[in-house]
Amino acid sequence: MIINHSFWEQTHCLKDKITCHLFVVPAAVFLLIRMKNYKTNKDTRKTYHGITVNGTSMTKKEKVFIATREKEKGNEAFASGDYMEAVTYYTRSISVLPTAAAYNNKAQAEIKLQDWDSALQDCEKVLDMEPNNVKALMRRATVNNQLKNYETAIEDLNKVLCIEPENAVAKKNLLETEKKLKGLKPVSKTEGKGKRILIEEIEDSEGSEERGENTEECGRSSGDKGRRQAAGPAAMGSAQRKAQGAKAEGREQRRDPAGTADPKGTAEEGAQRPEQQGEADGYSNGEGARGSPAEQQPPGAHGDGSTSLPPAAAELKREGNELFKGGQFGEAVLRYSEAIEHVVGLGEQIPDDLSILYSNRAACYLKEGNCSDCIQDCNRALELQAFSLKPLLRRAMAYESMERYRQAYVDYKTVLQIDSSIQAANDSVNRITKTLIDQDGSSWREKLPPIPVVPVAAQRHRWDGGNFTSEVKPSNTTDTNGEEQLQMNREKAEEEFKTLKNEGNDFVKNGKYEEAVNKYSECMKLNDKECTIYTNRALCYLKLYKYEEAKQDCDHVLQIEDSNIKAFYRRALAYKGLQNYQASVDDLNKVLLIDPNILEAKNELEQVTQLLNLGSSAVTGSLQKQRKKITIQEVTESDEQEEGQFAASEDVVTDDDTSKEEVQKSTPLKTSEKLTISEPSNAYDFGQIINVVNANKDKVACADLLTITDPKKLPVLLSNKLEVETFLIFIQSLEYYVLGKDPSLVYQHLFYLSKAERFKVVLGLLSKNEKEQVQQLFDLLAENQNHQYSSEDLESLKKVYEL
Amino acid sequence: MAAAAGPERPQVVAHVQQALSYTLFDCKWVPRSARLLCLGSAARGTGVVQLYELRAGRLELLREIEKAKPIKCGTFGAASLQQRYLATGDFGGSLNVWNLEAPEIPVYSVKGHKEIINSIDGVGGLGIGEGAPEIVTGSRDGTVKVWDPRQKDTPVANMEPVQGESKRDCWTVAFGNAYTQEERVVCAGYDNGDIKLFDLKTMSLRWETNIKNGVCSVEFDRKDVNMNKLVATSLEGKFHVFDMRTQHPTKGFASVSEKAHKSTIWQVRHLPQNRDIFMTSGGAGSLHLWKYEYPAQRSKKDSEGAEMGVAGSVSLLQNVTLSTQPISSLDWSPDKKGLCVCGAFDQTVRVLIVTKLNKV
Repeated sequence: MIINHSFWEQTHCLKDKITCHLFVVPAAVFLLIRMKNYKTNKDTRKTYHGITVNGTSMTKKEKVFIATREKEKGNEAFASGDYMEAVTYYTRSISVLPTAAAYNNKAQAEIKLQDWDSALQDCEKVLDMEPNNVKALMRRATVNNQLKNYETAIEDLNKVLCIEPENAVAKKNLLETEKKLKGLKPVSKTEGKGKRILIEEIEDSEGSEERGENTEECGRSSGDKGRRQAAGPAAMGSAQRKAQGAKAEGREQRRDPAGTADPKGTAEEGAQRPEQQGEADGYSNGEGARGSPAEQQPPGAHGDGSTSLPPAAAELKREGNELFKGGQFGEAVLRYSEAIEHVVGLGEQIPDDLSILYSNRAACYLKEGNCSDCIQDCNRALELQAFSLKPLLRRAMAYESMERYRQAYVDYKTVLQIDSSIQAANDSVNRITKTLIDQDGSSWREKLPPIPVVPVAAQRHRWDGGNFTSEVKPSNTTDTNGEEQLQMNREKAEEEFKTLKNEGNDFVKNGKYEEAVNKYSECMKLNDKECTIYTNRALCYLKLYKYEEAKQDCDHVLQIEDSNIKAFYRRALAYKGLQNYQASVDDLNKVLLIDPNILEAKNELEQVTQLLNLGSSAVTGSLQKQRKKITIQEVTESDEQEEGQFAASEDVVTDDDTSKEEVQKSTPLKTSEKLTISEPSNAYDFGQIINVVNANKDKVACADLLTITDPKKLPVLLSNKLEVETFLIFIQSLEYYVLGKDPSLVYQHLFYLSKAERFKVVLGLLSKNEKEQVQQLFDLLAENQNHQYSSEDLESLKKVYEL
Repeated sequence: MAAAAGPERPQVVAHVQQALSYTLFDCKWVPRSARLLCLGSAARGTGVVQLYELRAGRLELLREIEKAKPIKCGTFGAASLQQRYLATGDFGGSLNVWNLEAPEIPVYSVKGHKEIINSIDGVGGLGIGEGAPEIVTGSRDGTVKVWDPRQKDTPVANMEPVQGESKRDCWTVAFGNAYTQEERVVCAGYDNGDIKLFDLKTMSLRWETNIKNGVCSVEFDRKDVNMNKLVATSLEGKFHVFDMRTQHPTKGFASVSEKAHKSTIWQVRHLPQNRDIFMTSGGAGSLHLWKYEYPAQRSKKDSEGAEMGVAGSVSLLQNVTLSTQPISSLDWSPDKKGLCVCGAFDQTVRVLIVTKLNKV
């Protein structure tokens, strides 16, 4: 370890460089003044000056010393991801003493910075010094690959394989490069990116250069492997994401064939549903959802199978649909126009198909924002086929975006007459009503154009798939008194229904479930067709632990609508409450089948499966947990409906952070007020309670807190605030107060506590005494052995607790 | 977290223990050797410097020097590798530079401060840091002074509160940012929790903050790179890691803090071979080994478009309790990775080996 330093005595050059600031600034007393606007010399700070080190008067050994030191600084900077800085230090190292290792590392950093030219130069310098430097060859190949000099890249890779025939990375790269060269595959960006990270180990050089290089070379292949493995999951991640996207599309598509397979009338209906959904998405998510697969479903889903279009037009229409799905609306317009011309030119009487074509073209125009053309096409479509849902809806949207609210209102209202369950229309009516009231005051209704009355035949629930000819024109002017009266009544009933429903929703929000149930029940008297009322009432029943009733409501909904995801989910919860875990699991599986992305359902499924496995003895536990379950979506909006909910659940999936927040926010509704300590809804609340508990050393309160807190949420609630004191008071309260009542809860808490963020740190900070406390708790837990956790579970948990 | 990886995590092994007959304040490895220095105060109120050598698993006393005033701190940071002169700060406020081969008279001596010099740091020597060799001292008299051992009697820079403002006890000082001939900063920590960053190039106060509790120790992860990280430890057991790369015009530097010890963190020292690993020593005789992990993105733009830093996270790699008394000093061997010396108030110096540092 003792090193001979005789060489240091040879020169004193380092000492003689007197260029530093102390002579620039006189050696005067500097008073510390609190300068608020002190001058920042950021600009100079960012540009690295003094990039070279004056090494002319140094001995060889000094140079090696300095160069090595600078290179090590570079390596550290590289390791922390600061490639700019790394390049600076490598440059300095090179300026003192050019070494292959420094050039090589510099090249790697430059590759990271995508400074291909400099990287190429540096690789070449290395290869001048060491023609067979594998790393430099590999790097040069990477650079040449990026610069599209595939031949040179292949040459280098071949050379690498000559030196190291087993080099897997080189083989792989060679294969890819050859592919690119042949143009078999279009150059994909991801491949390029993947390549750049392949070789990135940095030569560190403890000891002499040569030795360093050699050992690195030996360790290299394994290092590469590790790195590639690390890159693996990332690639897999993106693949998974893609797969998910594909799945989402698949889902939509799956629904479709089901629709088209039916006879024509229902085919129309089936085809419309995803479309409405799409449009509802478009509405609730605004720009965000544009181009989402759901939205692009189909104008063309309109019964392709039973079309009576001439083949050429059908083909054009198909192409148009494809283009529409692909988001190329302009192109799609052209196709549809051609098809329309074709059909019109033939002079054939196929009004319904022509209407669909117009409607589809209107959809394209709407997407393009060409509202006036959209309206024109809708008008044409409606002339050909009155009270057709989609053109009406599209025209309404176009009117709305042109701020012609009155017309839009009328159209939406018409749509609702045809099918009152279209969420987008409901939402829009509400929104427009508000706007119109703002605009026209309380007498806004008087200024509306008359709302056409939809003939009974065209209303959806009595939809027979019949064709409507232009004879059935909107009878705006021919409204009789009787009809008007009828409509007034209907509207009145509708309004009453709506107010009742809103009141119900408000009660739910305030946690008054009994009252909400009453309101919903009244609603049902007015209209027993609305599924949402049932699902909402089911939710209330769930809150009131009336599982049987909740189940009945869900059953009812599912009779009307066999894929109501909310009904399934709530029925699952009801079954869970009824301890019919098998049925609960079945329902949850159905939920996930409909939408695999609903986190709550996944969590619930996990839990119920556990319960199922544990057997029926977990009654009390499950009842307790039941209270805290998060349902898919609380009744938040004034209206809720299937489509809205889909949009919401999609939100939850796409935006992880907000979903977590939402999950947390939605819990306060479920706190049980009877206890002195209310269940914390978020980490902040929890932290507050813990602070109080800690301050008072109130183990009873802490035990209460732990009893009402779902162990699963512990890591979230603790966030990064786990402290030793908190940990200890947990252990103590669990031991003294909870263990006697419910050992399995203690186990659960301990289990999830170990998942908390700072658990390991805290564990590390425990003193011997404190560890003994934990040990003691585990011992007691083992004594109170319970079939809900096995002794193996306990043992493995003990290991986690390092006991 | 690395700590979960059982046997894979670094272990701290006490290699040698040596009981001393005086109060130990500081211990330092002699660069490029297996020797270490212990600095302290003898019972009769004099200063002690002991030179030990690590031989066959024990410490052998090579030399003992007694000086008039108790010695609080020392550094080799401004010495050239061939001379390896030791700079010390003592209870009387004097800065002395000693040639350990001929310790009778100091090579350089100046009564720099009116009161005890609490902390000392050097840069520009040992091949660490560009520019001239300099020593900085922080004292109870509230001043921070920068010295060039080639300039007699007067400091090259003196940082003190303006007249009338209360003088705070300066507990710790550290050099940083010495990556070019011109750039250099001094960071100082005070008993009231103030941390001040003085820019020696522009001779200005570049940044200041307050961490609420007395600052026991500050250290840059590297003195000789463009400021990267700064660790500051405090009286009540917390430490803060500042990302010094990006300074926001109003918010300053981003930081992450961790409460580790239940008592004062006396010292922080970065591993010379890996700037993201550091050890803290606690008042209850414990040592904690930490690793800093950078965030994915080290800076981001705020709403006004100004760059602001993003702090990473720290994870505990290992902890060990060696003593019942505070461990007041800590020093990594600059030459052997994982070799470390620490001195505690139980009048014992310990040589430690930290294993598996290359695996983190």
